[in-house]
Amino acid sequence: MSGISSGFGTWNPIAWGLLILGIAVLALVLRSTGRRSYKKGTDQTKAFLSGNEEPSTPGDLHVRGGHLYWGMLDGLDAYYRRVRGLHTGVINDYVAWFVGALAFLGVLFVWVG
Amino acid sequence: MALPRSFKRALWVFHIATGSCNGCDIEIVAALTPRYDVERFGIMLTGTPRHADVLLITGPVTRPMLPRLQRIYEQTPDPKAVVVVGGCGSTGGVFYESYNLVGPIDEVIPVDIYVPGCPARPEAIIDGVVKAVTKLETLERKVRT
Repeated sequence: MSGISSGFGTWNPIAWGLLILGIAVLALVLRSTGRRSYKKGTDQTKAFLSGNEEPSTPGDLHVRGGHLYWGMLDGLDAYYRRVRGLHTGVINDYVAWFVGALAFLGVLFVWVG
Repeated sequence: MALPRSFKRALWVFHIATGSCNGCDIEIVAALTPRYDVERFGIMLTGTPRHADVLLITGPVTRPMLPRLQRIYEQTPDPKAVVVVGGCGSTGGVFYESYNLVGPIDEVIPVDIYVPGCPARPEAIIDGVVKAVTKLETLERKVRT
């Protein structure tokens, strides 16, 4: 099977196949050097969580993206509570806010001149 | 009992403080500094007991640390060597019979080597780790013969 050569590079399925095979063999060799004395079904095969027990429900292990902003959310809790209240999910409310803000800006521009 | 190749090449050590004053922990860190440089012998601290050959434990066992110490011991693959560093872990030390202690480490898990001292010197800690491996190797030879 011949490959394709262009000004941007070369594509050869046999070369790719050999590369994937080589990586797979290397991965198996590395895996075979690992320790086999782990006892299955015991703590030895469980995740190490600084000695803490592994939660039975996987959801408890999940770290949500919002956790990264926990400090900011907690520090600005009063602000976020107010702003969340405004996010009703009703399009009429959002349009009303848009029209209101636009009217306020219009008045402001006219007033400032 | 057959020792894995990791024992004969490089020792990976997991360090646990079960309520120590950090004196012994600082001496363990000192053993890693260029002055002692245990890594030239292949002795290296690892971040998880699942990769460890030796458990290096400091401090008496406080009540909150009891289940954690037991779990870490269970999570360490066999065969493993347990080295206790310092007087508190060996006997309870100055915290002996304190209300919030479960006791010295050997009352919770089996211990192979005790390194006494308050704190133990880095040379003694290195000696203890090497002795623990020697003990396991001797045991392996006895099992084979």
